[in-house]
Amino acid sequence: MKLHMFIVRRLILLVPVIVGVTILTFTISHLIPADAAAAQCGDKCGIVVGYTDDGDPITAYEANRERLGMNEPLIIQFGLYVTHLYEGDWGESSTYHRPVADVVKDAAPITLEMAFLALFIAYPLGIILGIISAVRQDRMFDHISRFFAIAFVSLPIFWFAMVLQLVFATGTESSGICDPLFGTSGGCFPIYGRHDPSLTYPVDGFASFYPAGGTGFHLIDSWFVTDEKLATLPEGWSSNWLLFKDTLLHLALPCAALGIASSGSLLRYMRASLLEVLHEDYVRTARAKGLSEFKVVIVHACRNALVPIVTILGFSIGGAIGGAVLTETIFAFNGMGRVAVKSIQYLDFPVIMGVTLITAAIFLLSNLIVDILYAVIDPRVRLE
Amino acid sequence: MRGWDEGEEDRKENLKRLTEAISQSGSDIWRSWRIYRRSLLAVVGLMLVLSVVTVSIFADDIAVEHPYRNLQDTQWLWTIDNEPQRAHPFSEECDWHEQSIYVDTRSPFFSETVVAVSDNKVGDDNKYYRDTLSVIELLSLKDNKGYDLNISWITIDPNNSSILILSEELYNNSSITDKVWLTYEFDNEAMHLSWMPDGYDVCIFGTTHQGQDLFSKVLYGSRVSLKIGITVALLTVTIGTIVGSVAGYFGGRVDEVIMRICDVFFAIPGLILAMAFVTAMSAITSLTIPLWLGILIPILFLAVVSRTYLTSTIPQENQLSSQVMGSLVRNRNIFLGLLVFFFFVGLIPGVSWSELFGLSESREWRLSAAIGIILLLGLIGLADKRFIEKSSFDGAGERVSKSLDWTNPWKYLTLRTVAVFVAAFYLFEFSGSTDDEIVVIKTFDRLWKIQAALIFTGWPGYARLIRGQVLYVKEMTFVEAAKSVGAPPGRIMFRHILPNAWAPLLVAFTLDIGGTILSASGLSFIGLGAAPGTAEWGLLVSDSRQFFVFDPHLMLFPGLAIAVTTLGFNLLGDGIRDVLDPKNRR
Repeated sequence: MKLHMFIVRRLILLVPVIVGVTILTFTISHLIPADAAAAQCGDKCGIVVGYTDDGDPITAYEANRERLGMNEPLIIQFGLYVTHLYEGDWGESSTYHRPVADVVKDAAPITLEMAFLALFIAYPLGIILGIISAVRQDRMFDHISRFFAIAFVSLPIFWFAMVLQLVFATGTESSGICDPLFGTSGGCFPIYGRHDPSLTYPVDGFASFYPAGGTGFHLIDSWFVTDEKLATLPEGWSSNWLLFKDTLLHLALPCAALGIASSGSLLRYMRASLLEVLHEDYVRTARAKGLSEFKVVIVHACRNALVPIVTILGFSIGGAIGGAVLTETIFAFNGMGRVAVKSIQYLDFPVIMGVTLITAAIFLLSNLIVDILYAVIDPRVRLE
Repeated sequence: MRGWDEGEEDRKENLKRLTEAISQSGSDIWRSWRIYRRSLLAVVGLMLVLSVVTVSIFADDIAVEHPYRNLQDTQWLWTIDNEPQRAHPFSEECDWHEQSIYVDTRSPFFSETVVAVSDNKVGDDNKYYRDTLSVIELLSLKDNKGYDLNISWITIDPNNSSILILSEELYNNSSITDKVWLTYEFDNEAMHLSWMPDGYDVCIFGTTHQGQDLFSKVLYGSRVSLKIGITVALLTVTIGTIVGSVAGYFGGRVDEVIMRICDVFFAIPGLILAMAFVTAMSAITSLTIPLWLGILIPILFLAVVSRTYLTSTIPQENQLSSQVMGSLVRNRNIFLGLLVFFFFVGLIPGVSWSELFGLSESREWRLSAAIGIILLLGLIGLADKRFIEKSSFDGAGERVSKSLDWTNPWKYLTLRTVAVFVAAFYLFEFSGSTDDEIVVIKTFDRLWKIQAALIFTGWPGYARLIRGQVLYVKEMTFVEAAKSVGAPPGRIMFRHILPNAWAPLLVAFTLDIGGTILSASGLSFIGLGAAPGTAEWGLLVSDSRQFFVFDPHLMLFPGLAIAVTTLGFNLLGDGIRDVLDPKNRR
């Protein structure tokens, strides 16, 4: 099978899944005991806005029901929902008082930034420890790292994040050295938030100093803040580098929590995969040629052992987004996880549907990319 | 019909087989344990799990106080409006002798006296009791904003030191809006005698912000977590196994559809889906199924079982099915599909026919539909029975009579039969059934909602796992052999394939208990899990969030409990994997 045929096949397989996700979110949102029509008019539901042909009064509530199509049978409502989705109208949030598409568009980069950075921590950590573990199989290091791999998987991520806060974010900074433990003020890392408090509400009101139409990833956007905008900021924020550093420092703890939690399973996969490869003939050949052990393991064995690790990438992105729900709640990031929690608490179901759909889309997309990547690396996959 | 005596040889034979199987499994267990104990980590895991289970069983005896003492109090006692607070939150001293209470001056239960009572205590009969306290001295009286009030407005009844008398001034004072805070000292000795266990003067984990003993809460939390973990894992395994084995065995279009449904579930992060599902169920107070469905399930089950039993000697091709009831028999998959559809629509609460299709809904309509379906099933069964009677296959008649031989006790002792009877008993015993519905879970509380949500999000993982196993085992020769002697699909699946595919299932099951405990505590942490005040570890961590900088012990101990329990189950699962996987036997 040619590569482009493989991609087309994968894309076709995506369609039923996306349809299924819309049906699932639609079903769930209709089970949620909230009245969207009542949520939109609030106190003014009783006001009469018009009259029917028979002269009966129509209240604002009834008009809303009519407008939202809530009087139709469920199947027609689903059709309407899908049509609206297709047209880009994702509904109106009753908690944020903004279109859902905007809410999700603002929140998604925050979560993605956190998830990607977490994977940047998790992958090197898991892979390097996995390699050492496999090479020193059944020795002390192997036992310890395997134990830690299981322990990391077993840690409740919200608790681990709080412990990190406690250790690294509440210490005192005495004489320039970070003193991580039980201080009263300051600490090595900021305790929560996405930015320094002085940056959260810049001088000129609530307008963001980040370029409009930017990526939303502040690690990238901070390099594109113009000098005029920088001049409006409070003192001490005079360069792009400082903004970048601020964002990075605020991301450090949540990403460490997420990354360490997901590095455990990676370590185990890497170890198992490498152990399998190390018994292959070509590794023995490489050793017989007289190559150094380092070269045998890193160049010959690891290249093949890493191939199956790629397939987990898609799943770990999904896992990181799921874990972000908890870390975002703890570190007060207004990402998708926190939006989801808030919308669920306020029974704001257009947002719930939007967030679920977009996380599913991200997950499916990343899996698609990973599959294509896999097919490029390992052409045998295309033959299925 | 055969009598009891004629079955004597069969019974002897069965008993012999049973004893052999038991002795065989005994030596199997011993061998497995010898492999298992080679790994230190696995042994540690087993010990962790055992200790958590022990703690949860004996929590009543170890704990200092019952963690739910404030929550399940349904009786209004005079004007005590809120839960009593112990004097020293966050302290390590358990032995308190002061208590602050709200006195509601605008209470609907207006009264001129207040009775000083202790916190709730669970007696030996598992009911909740409160004791009256004998008040020694009134310490302070404050209004809602914390300003001191004249303490002489409340006096101790000279005849009974448990009763406090509220004066006229307290009610007539216009500056008091609704509640006042009263702190008094009470006789602790009497208290101790009445309900505090001896020797517990120090709370080793400290007290929570509400002044409750954290140690007891953590102990009782193990019950909640284990209950959630095991229930969810058991039910997900059951659902996942059935769905997965159907997908793997039948393959083709069935497999495709089921796997796409699983993909849908995988696409949404589990925690977000569980959150949404918990919310979606928030209006449900009890899980009920319609009566027709409740009647239909056992009938359907019996039909399937007897069909499996009857058709096991009959070749696949038959002539009669193309004649009398041919179309019915051939199209029974469609009918079964319709039934499954009815089943799910019946299960989804709040969605009714009128909403789904715009049909008018009436009870008569539903009843007649139910009766129609039952008749249909009967016709399908009849068609087969007619066919059996007319056909002259050797042994078929004997099979029929055997299947009707109610005197042979071994026939009933299959796991399936027991399961059905237990389920039926459960349904009818614990239900507050009304005219047209059967109650499955009477109080569908928040605990059940977490469990349902986690089951809902968890089954696709098992389905995929089992499908892979079934696909692998399906190709083996013994399955082919079973097929060639005419065994029906259900029998092949549950008797031949699944027993050979259980090893990864057991590992996944053990690991899943740990994973479920993690997810459940995560849900509770967000505030969508256990009800506020429950002794649930995630909730305890969540409650401690606002204090954790200065009182980290509140967060550390419950979190450690989650981590240790999950670690235990994960290590146990790993150990079991090492035993079961021959590749790892080095």
